[in-house]
Amino acid sequence: MTAYKFLEAGAVSPFAGFRWPLDEWVDAAGADPCRRGIHACRIRDLPFWLNDELWEIELDGDIVEQERKVVAPRGRLVRRVDGWNRDVLHEFGSSVLARTRTRFGAVAGLAGYVGDIQLHLASGRVPLAAFAAARAAEVNGGPAEYERERSRQAAWLAARLGLGAA
Amino acid sequence: MRLDRELPCIEVVELVTAYLEDALSVADRQRVEEHFVFCDGCTTYLEQIRQTIVLTGRMEPEDIPPALQEKLLAAFHDWTPA
Amino acid sequence: MEAAPSAEERRLVDALRAGDESAFTQLVQEYGPSMLRVARMFVSSRAVAEEVVQEAWVGVLNGIDRFEGRSSLKTWIFRILTNTAKTRAIREGRSIPFSALAGEGEEPGGVDADRFLGDDSRFPGHWAAPPQRWEALPERRLLAAETLDVIEREIAKLPPNQAIVVTMRDVEGFDAEDVRNALDISETNQRVLLHRARTKLRRALEEYMQ
Repeated sequence: MTAYKFLEAGAVSPFAGFRWPLDEWVDAAGADPCRRGIHACRIRDLPFWLNDELWEIELDGDIVEQERKVVAPRGRLVRRVDGWNRDVLHEFGSSVLARTRTRFGAVAGLAGYVGDIQLHLASGRVPLAAFAAARAAEVNGGPAEYERERSRQAAWLAARLGLGAA
Repeated sequence: MRLDRELPCIEVVELVTAYLEDALSVADRQRVEEHFVFCDGCTTYLEQIRQTIVLTGRMEPEDIPPALQEKLLAAFHDWTPA
Repeated sequence: MEAAPSAEERRLVDALRAGDESAFTQLVQEYGPSMLRVARMFVSSRAVAEEVVQEAWVGVLNGIDRFEGRSSLKTWIFRILTNTAKTRAIREGRSIPFSALAGEGEEPGGVDADRFLGDDSRFPGHWAAPPQRWEALPERRLLAAETLDVIEREIAKLPPNQAIVVTMRDVEGFDAEDVRNALDISETNQRVLLHRARTKLRRALEEYMQ
């Protein structure tokens, strides 16, 4: 199965600090794949894990689907998604701002989130801006709206980066 | 208004030890990591806990006093191996 | 901590069993200071702590034949130490409640509630005043001996159960399993005590850094 993986600069995993080799199978250590497995994103998971580098990863073995990721015992970085860079990250941020402003810019009690998003983008905190947008949606319409905003974010990323196409 | 999905920072800081011990449920661990992606404050807090652990590990104990050392040697001499 | 004796530990065990004084001296030198530090947290005075250490070493010698190598030698020695210390503490009328977590209630010394946004904000419970990275401060600060003094002073202010757990885990490097076994407490209890201790130590360092 092909999935995606956000890594820190240098192909380093953000939580384990593991430096990923290119094009080499990596086995997750340990008996419990949910804890110790290779984590990856489906397209819908992308907005949650934004980071410096985006990679396509091939997964092998029993793949477990979780709420915000898939987990497999083995994985191999296949190719870097070159289209993903700091500029596109900021484009993403702008798209989130635009959408939130359109929806809530004139709504009392929610317009404040638009200001928050602007503030976060100004300081380069794009993941926080994206969270704030989803948060605003949730305040407006409950958890389903949170998910819907996140889906829109994922769709934007997929379209902009040409992901999911054959 | 505290929302369903919410794992706010005030709760995350209470979970850092369990996170570092790898003792969180799969769901909680994911929620915590998801939070670290967008939250500089909590990322910094976690880093500081890690730094605290490293520093704590550098504490050298005082030597045992010579009088105690002698008592221990005496105890050794009183002891007969089996 | 390794779950089995290292080659060097096995050599020391054999030498000790053969009555080799230099093996004993080496072990005392290596572990004695830490043992004294841990013992001190259980009992009422340094003098009593020294007696505990003495008693523990006698226990080590008397038990060395029975050491099966199912843990590292260090773990085994410290288990004897903590058992000795606990027994002595009880005789002194000091019992340290490792398991009495209920009723500790709100612990002061954690992160102040006013560091977080209130329920009326757009992000309740999020940082209002987030911590500042220590890297942003002069590098020397992190390395200075003063930071170790800060930690030492803070550990001295901890309740004994927290002090012992954080000392065994983070100072001595025992793992959670070792500490659970040595103190005969559950994994959860151990973790809660460790959490409270670390929270306070971080806070003390944060105050020092500012």
